[in-house]
Amino acid sequence: MAAWCHERGAAQGAKLTVAQVWALSQAWYGNRLSPDYHGRTREQVRAIFEGLGLRGAFWEVG
Amino acid sequence: MIDDDLVWAVRAAVYAHFAETGHAPSAAMAGARLGLSEAEAVAAFVELHRRHALFLDEATGAIRMAHPFSAIPTDFVVHANGRQYWANCAWDAFGIPAALGAAARAEMAYADTGERVRLHVPPEGAADGARVHFLLPFTRWYDDLVFT
Repeated sequence: MAAWCHERGAAQGAKLTVAQVWALSQAWYGNRLSPDYHGRTREQVRAIFEGLGLRGAFWEVG
Repeated sequence: MIDDDLVWAVRAAVYAHFAETGHAPSAAMAGARLGLSEAEAVAAFVELHRRHALFLDEATGAIRMAHPFSAIPTDFVVHANGRQYWANCAWDAFGIPAALGAAARAEMAYADTGERVRLHVPPEGAADGARVHFLLPFTRWYDDLVFT
């Protein structure tokens, strides 16, 4: 993966396990088909990341 | 100014169409689900794009992405509910089963080796140590969604 990023002049991002990605997918997309889904606030995004232990500059919401 | 409730109703119609067919609806198709004109649906599409709730092809105005769904074929293929869906990225290949609330089989390729991989979703076991690479930090996800 380091070589793949280097070839594209990109910094390495975050690598998540399949279990972590599945957990993030459920939190991020689990209600996406609901008619009540109207987007989410930065606070809600932050809560999702923090709830999954995704911390550090990469996961900063701003 | 288009009514806010109408905008979100169009969003829901778009997602329902994706879930039911695996494909993006045209504005006319999305509007028809709600008894709206094509022009009203187009206006809602544009507003949803502005809010990052849909991503439109700038050249055609057609839906390009409604995360986690892709309107165009990609290397990230998901089979669920007897249908085929295209995801925008590896994460979205997990996102489609999460959105559908359905078990799925996802097919994709490792970015660095090109090796094809098939995964059951929800994942079974540790998936052989596979990792999903998020290239850009969250603050840049919406800079260029195709690259992200």
